[in-house]
Amino acid sequence: MEALKNALDFSDFPRIDLTVAGLVLIFLLAFPVLGFSSFAMATMIQFLMFSLYGMGWNTIGGYGGQVDLGKAQYVGIGAYTTAVMLIRWDIPFWVSMPVGVCLAVGWSFIIGYPLFRLKGHYFAIATIATSLVLKDLFEVWNFVGAARGLEISPIKFHPPDFLHLIFKEDVYYFYILLGFFLLGIFYINWFRKSRLGFQLRCIKDNEDVARSLGINVHWAKIKTYAIATSFVSVVGSFHACYIKNIEPEDTMSLTISILIALMAMLGGAGSLWGPIIGAGILIPLKSYLKEWLGATVGLVGIDIIIYALIIMLVSAFEPRGVWGIIEKLRRRKRN
Amino acid sequence: MAMLVADHVTKDFGGLRANHDICFSMEKGELLGLIGPNGAGKTTLFNCLSGLHPITSGRIIFNGKDITRLKAHEVARQGLARTFQVYTASGDLNVRENVMVGCFMNTSSRSRAASRADKMLAFLRLTELADYLVSELPVAAQKRVTMATALGSDPKLLLLDEVAAGLNPNEIEDILSDIKHIHYELGVTVMLIEHVMELVMKISDRVIVLDSGEKIAEGDPGQIARNPAVIKAYLGERYVKEHSGELA
Repeated sequence: MEALKNALDFSDFPRIDLTVAGLVLIFLLAFPVLGFSSFAMATMIQFLMFSLYGMGWNTIGGYGGQVDLGKAQYVGIGAYTTAVMLIRWDIPFWVSMPVGVCLAVGWSFIIGYPLFRLKGHYFAIATIATSLVLKDLFEVWNFVGAARGLEISPIKFHPPDFLHLIFKEDVYYFYILLGFFLLGIFYINWFRKSRLGFQLRCIKDNEDVARSLGINVHWAKIKTYAIATSFVSVVGSFHACYIKNIEPEDTMSLTISILIALMAMLGGAGSLWGPIIGAGILIPLKSYLKEWLGATVGLVGIDIIIYALIIMLVSAFEPRGVWGIIEKLRRRKRN
Repeated sequence: MAMLVADHVTKDFGGLRANHDICFSMEKGELLGLIGPNGAGKTTLFNCLSGLHPITSGRIIFNGKDITRLKAHEVARQGLARTFQVYTASGDLNVRENVMVGCFMNTSSRSRAASRADKMLAFLRLTELADYLVSELPVAAQKRVTMATALGSDPKLLLLDEVAAGLNPNEIEDILSDIKHIHYELGVTVMLIEHVMELVMKISDRVIVLDSGEKIAEGDPGQIARNPAVIKAYLGERYVKEHSGELA
């Protein structure tokens, strides 16, 4: 009961934040009827997906300070579970999605246990390695279509199919994802006030202090890693139904892992709104840059250069991202 | 029954023996001082007692239970809390949130943790500073935050590591009375490492002296101040020889 109250209670934010959040929510709810192009709609869906990825990453990476660069492997597990179950056995999304979460969380325990013996850069490198190894395995695994991947053919379904999440129009996907997005915000709002959230922030500050306050540091990290994994896996499952064509290269690549971490780091790691702000800046930038510049000869890959620049600028000037700057200004005003 | 017993505790770091064969025991309700020159192994002993360093040999008994092989978080849950000499806070948690982390050890309810934290903040004169980041506070207040955080976990025994270091004489007076409050009003048994002699000698029931990793003396503050081995450890052999007439 108290947990539910905490999840719905945003009263520790200043009124201006809540006003802005309310306006953004109204904009999101009304977005499909505002007559934007289908390209804008696709960008918006990407924004919601990456916000959710970022929120998940933010639990372990932001609040816990464990820079995880291997989240793409869980996108893959979620996406492939849903795709395989749908294609082979006609199992609905609402069943395959939780199954995907279970598999992803199971896998996260297996690799999380040894991985969290490592710290700092070594941990980050190890997460990249496990993710790439899993991707390589999927590329040679015939059951999941190897490097060709899997294709969900919409022909045998009758859209709009809410059970299997097969739709012709993006607007259905948009509203379902918006539902996940709001649930995600409520969950993180609970998480940041929960015992685990406090423990994690203490671990980020100083692990020895955390231990001396009765916190099982290793277990707290593994639990949170599983929470982050669940977020990513759910969106991965959604990704399969939405894109309908998944291959290891675009669901499990290193670029995806880095983008996920970048959302939260740019917007503000360890804050509720950070990943959303990050995704709100990066995703439109990514989509429209590709649209405008990507086709021009010689400018392919310019988006990757921009990500690199952002990483450097954020880590040099304000490690807590855009939200860190806002908080700093507020603090200065108050003092 | 003794609350804490260190039974031949030895700690090696590679070839370096940081604690050698240390034995002592302390009773419930006691206020025990631990002194010694720099590098004597005082903080190492705290790290061993609180489980952060696994000890090389010996046993540690807390409230009748062998805690030698327990991990640091398990030791903390037995009711043995500690503070740290250097508290490196990255600035993520404000003062109240810091104290709440300690309070969350015994409850998963946020409201219960928050109300206990508020009590601890009031107890250590921190209520008005609750919304600041720890890094924004003066050193004296930071030291009180570390004590409040440790007390949040409702310990039976509190190890204080140099809480008076870097404070001015007025602040030392204040922290002295804080420690007395913790000891008498909350009924917490206290063991403290301190370089500020006027503080240790004033409040300790008993003092243990370490030098080069070994226990060289133990007794009430008056005895310790006159103990030749202690004076030698602090002032050097030559001083003791030259002034042997005055010391006797």
